[in-house]
This record gives sequence, C-alpha cells and structure tokens, in this order.
Amino acid sequence: MSSTIIARFKEFYQQKDYLWALIWGAGILMIWGWDLLYLNEPARRQIEEGFFNTFIIAFMVIVFSALLSWGVTLALYFLEDKIKNIPYSGLNFILNLIRSVPQIIGILLGYLLITYLMATGSLSDTFSTIILTAFVISLFVFLELVDLMRERIAYFKKSDFFNAMRVCGIPEPRIINRDILWKNSWVHLFNKMISIFGITVFLLCSIDFIVSVGLTTDVSTVNFPVTLGSLLAKIDSKQDILAIGNTIGNIGYISNIFFKHLQGITIAFVIVFSLLSIYKISNGFARRYHL
Amino acid sequence: MKFKKSLNEHILSLALVTLVMLAVMIIVRTADTRRERQNFDEIETYLKMNFVDFDDPFEKALLKETLNIFEPGNKTRNDSLLAQVDRYRRDQFLKNVSRAGKGTGLSGQKMVELIRMYFKFILAYLITLVLTYYAVQTLAVNRFIHTKQNRQSYLAELIRYIRHHPFLWQGKAVMRYLAGAANLLGKATVKGIGYFIAFSPAYVIAYSFRTEFNTDSLLFMILLGVISNGLLINYANRFYTFLVSESRKGYVETAVVKNLHSSYDTGRKDGISYRAVLSWKKWFPGHVFEHIFINARYQYLTTIKEQASFLITGLIIIEMALNIQGHLCYELLQNILYRHFDVVIVILLGLFYIVKLTELGADYLMHRESQKFENIAID
Repeated sequence: MSSTIIARFKEFYQQKDYLWALIWGAGILMIWGWDLLYLNEPARRQIEEGFFNTFIIAFMVIVFSALLSWGVTLALYFLEDKIKNIPYSGLNFILNLIRSVPQIIGILLGYLLITYLMATGSLSDTFSTIILTAFVISLFVFLELVDLMRERIAYFKKSDFFNAMRVCGIPEPRIINRDILWKNSWVHLFNKMISIFGITVFLLCSIDFIVSVGLTTDVSTVNFPVTLGSLLAKIDSKQDILAIGNTIGNIGYISNIFFKHLQGITIAFVIVFSLLSIYKISNGFARRYHL
Repeated sequence: MKFKKSLNEHILSLALVTLVMLAVMIIVRTADTRRERQNFDEIETYLKMNFVDFDDPFEKALLKETLNIFEPGNKTRNDSLLAQVDRYRRDQFLKNVSRAGKGTGLSGQKMVELIRMYFKFILAYLITLVLTYYAVQTLAVNRFIHTKQNRQSYLAELIRYIRHHPFLWQGKAVMRYLAGAANLLGKATVKGIGYFIAFSPAYVIAYSFRTEFNTDSLLFMILLGVISNGLLINYANRFYTFLVSESRKGYVETAVVKNLHSSYDTGRKDGISYRAVLSWKKWFPGHVFEHIFINARYQYLTTIKEQASFLITGLIIIEMALNIQGHLCYELLQNILYRHFDVVIVILLGLFYIVKLTELGADYLMHRESQKFENIAID
C-alpha cells in the first residue's frame, strides 16, 4: 500500500508542471487563510482585488498577444512570399522598432495615454481601463510569440512535410494555420504563453509600483484598477517590507513580520512566489514535452 | 552581407527615430509656448487688476458677481474665465516649484546634467551586462554538470537520506545522522532563499534592506541588476537548454568514441574542474564538453539582444521605483511629472540609442562567430 503511494508520489513529483501548479495554488490558499485570521478585512479585500486584477490583466495580455502575434505572423508570411516589397519591409521595420523600445518605457508611455484618456473622461469604468492596460502591455510582449511562430513555420517549411501537403493540394493558409501553428506548435506556443504570463505579472507590478510612487497628479491612483504593484507602493506596505530589513539586525523581531506587517509581506510574497511558480511550471511543461 | 543589411537597418531606424523625436520635441515646445501665450492673452486684463487678491475667496466671488452684473448674458463665459485665471496661476506656481527643484525644461545646464547621468547609466549597464553574461554561463554550466552527475535536488536527496539511513539511538550515530540531514536541509533552504531573491523584483529587495545599508549607490544598483528581476535564472535556464540540446547531438558520441574525455566528475583528472567552471574564460581542453559549450554559446549569442533589453528594463525599474535622485530614469519620471516633454524625449532617445547600439554589437558578434564557424573570410 505504502509503496503504491510512494510510486504515485514519485510519478507526480516527476511531473513538475502539475506539481508546481499545485504548490502555487496551495501556497496562495495558505497565505489567504493566514490573512483571513490575522489581517484586517479592508486590507485583505484590497489584496484580493489586487490579486484578481493582476491575474485578469495578465490573462488578457495572453489573449491579446496570441491574436496580435497570429495576425502579424500571417501578415509577414504572406507579404514576404507574395509581394516582397515595401509593406513587408515596413512591417518588419516597425516590429524591430518596437523591439528596440525597452518594454517598461513602452508601457509607461501607454500608461500616460491611459492617464490622459482618464483625465479627459474618455475612459471612465474600471473594466475598460483593464482592457486597455492589457492591450498596451501586450503590444510590448507579443513579439516573442511572433518570433516563435515564424521559427516554427520556417522549420516546417524546410522539411518534406510542407511540400508534401502542397502537392496533395492542401491550400497554404490551411497548412500554416491548422497543420503547423495549431496542430504541431501548440505545445511550443503554450509554453511561450506561460513565460509571457510571468513577464506580464512582473512588468505590470513594476509599472504600477512606479506609477503609484511618482506619476499621478491629474489622475489619482484610485482611478486605476488596484493591482499588486500599486498596493505594494502604498506607504504601509513599504513599511512592512522595510521591517524585513529590521529582522536582520534584530532577529527577535521576526515573529512580528507574520502578524503586524502582514499586508506588505503578503503582497511581496504573492508576487515573488507567483513569478517563481510560473517559471517552474514553464520549465516542467517544457520537460514534459521535451521542448 | 547579412551583417551589412542589419547595419543599414539599424542606421536607418536610428536616423528615423532621431528625426521623429526631434520633430515631436519641436512641436511640443512650440505648442507649449503658443498655449501659454494664448491663455495669458485671454486673461491678461484680469491678471493685471492689482487690487484683486486672487488668493482670497471673498474677492474672487466679488469679481465674479461684478462680471455677471456687467455682462449678465455671459455667466458661463465669466465662470470659465475665472477658472482659467486659477489654472494659469496654478501652472505658474508649479513651474516655480519645479524651477526651485531641478525641474526646468531643456537648457544647456540641463543637457550637461543629463549627459553625466547618461554616462552613469551606461556604466552601470555595461558592468551589469558583463557580470550577467558571466553569471548566466557559470550557473548554466554548473547545473548541466550536476545533471550529468545524476544529482537530485537537495530536498529529494534529503528524502532519500531519511529513507535509506536507519536512525540509530547510539551517541555519535545520532549526531552524525542529524548533521547529515541538517546539512541537506540547510542547502535546500539556502537554495530556496536564493530562488526567492532571484525572482524578487528589485524594489522588493531594495526596500527590504533599506534600513540596513545605503541602497542608493551605483554598486547596489549593479548588484540588484544582476541578481534580481528573474533575469539571471531565466537566461541561465535558456543557456542550460542550449547545452542540453547540444549534448544530444550526434557529434558528441562521435567525439567520445574518438577518445575525448567525457566524465563530468569534478574530482577526476579527466573530468571537469570547478576552477574551469568558475573561470572567466571557460575552457575545457580535451573534454567533449568544450565543443558542447562553444556551440551552446554560439546559440546563446542570439538571445543577448533580448537579455540586454530586459536588463535595461530592469535598470530603469530600479532607478524609477527606488527614486534614486541624480539618476537618468528618476529624472525621466520627474520630467514626465512636471510635463517637461522636451527633456523626456531626450532621455528616451538616449535609452533608444543604448538598445540599438547593443543590438548592433550583438549582431556584429554573431556575424563574427558565424564566419568562424562557417569558415568565411571576415569582410
């Protein structure tokens, strides 16, 4: 009996993506339970809202990135093949230009636009702001997916697979969309999406932290959807983080961290633990499918 | 040929972006001056009324009443005029405040300051890039060797240790048993903390240590740039993947058959020493890993651009989030706040140049390596 359990545990232990998804879920639930016991309700509710907003935006970024990259990849493929002139070079040039803008700067400029739209009243509800934020971020992260899709198409085009299908009379768009990108690349694309999810969480938290620390005059931070980054920028959260440093000099203070400084510690833990877990899930997934 | 093409493309984009940015800067400056002049012209008469104290709400209300009596049909216009006066005075106040700080628009003195900050940023960036280049390879090679040695994670080793070592209640045996377990547990904990630090955004680490020592120094910024934001782990993982995929290729087995060393034991003479792993220029003569490493490094060069771009993003986040005064990206944030868009454009242009020059450098490196591999004369 015990050997069966050990064998099953071993099997599960080998599937690192499932294991880390479970560890992430359990870790988040555990800290939520702890907050339920020891953190005041208004702060806890804000953290819950920040958590959901952060992950909803990150999920939307994945959707937008997938759509954008699919469209751009097809456009590049067919422009390159059929016309071979200015539109292809132009699109390539624009993409390279986006690539040369540091992601955080691009997103910051996007935030300025969102702030302007809020100030003029064109953007009033939270949901629209969330969608626009996700779209802005996806503009600066989707290129990784484009590169991967183009790599996959180039790889299959070199093999007999592509020509054999063409000879069979299967139209090129169908080979590219269905057979190469959908059927034979979904594992690679899914793995890339997991890593984009991680990058988005990191960038979103960072930009919200920066914006909340020093970029709001006309539009108050209250108007922006609450995220983990903006919550971490609050003065009481920052004080909670500073308390970690206190414990280095005064180790006896450590018990206070889990009771008195719960807000900042929870937010920082959720961010770091999520980033670590996403990395591990992505790695486990790559190992499972031998990518 | 390929490099020349990419060189042309880089030069074209540098020229185009510079032109566009300069045009935007001129437009922004002209529009600002025009708007200011226009605003002032409309309310000039009222601002010159020295007998009205605009800070006094009573006098402001009195002026409003007077205007409404003189022009009864223009109540809305009168309201908007007074609002305009308020806005103009507030803008003037903010301008003075920003001048009192260092927030004036683009001037000669400002340019000198920006250039100084720019070079400081470049210095931090170059040092961090070199350090991460070394650290990424070292971590990946170390992990690869551990994998080849069939070593498990410390936690798995601990579980195996507990399962396979019977616990004996005999004086020294108990101590030995506990020491063995504690050693593995300690290593697992240190590794876990290391992972947490590596994935922490820089501002979380910086705020954690702010009470203990000065986190505003250039040295601390470089340290943060190297260890935080997940950069090191992510790119080390990528390099490790290249090493693994290279090690599966056919030439590796051929090389082993031809008697190249293939042991990954760090203690053996025909193995791989830690000294070689840690050395700046990694060199494993007579070992099959030498070729695996060189080929993996060639592939890694393609990701350098991406890594450099992510590193710049990380450094920008550090400077902005930590409000490190006198640094380029803090200045960028301040000037966005004060709406000095000419300064903002100059800083953005500077950052764009850094990325572009890095891309150019990476392309050249790749081109040179390709020629070495393909036996083509360097043109």
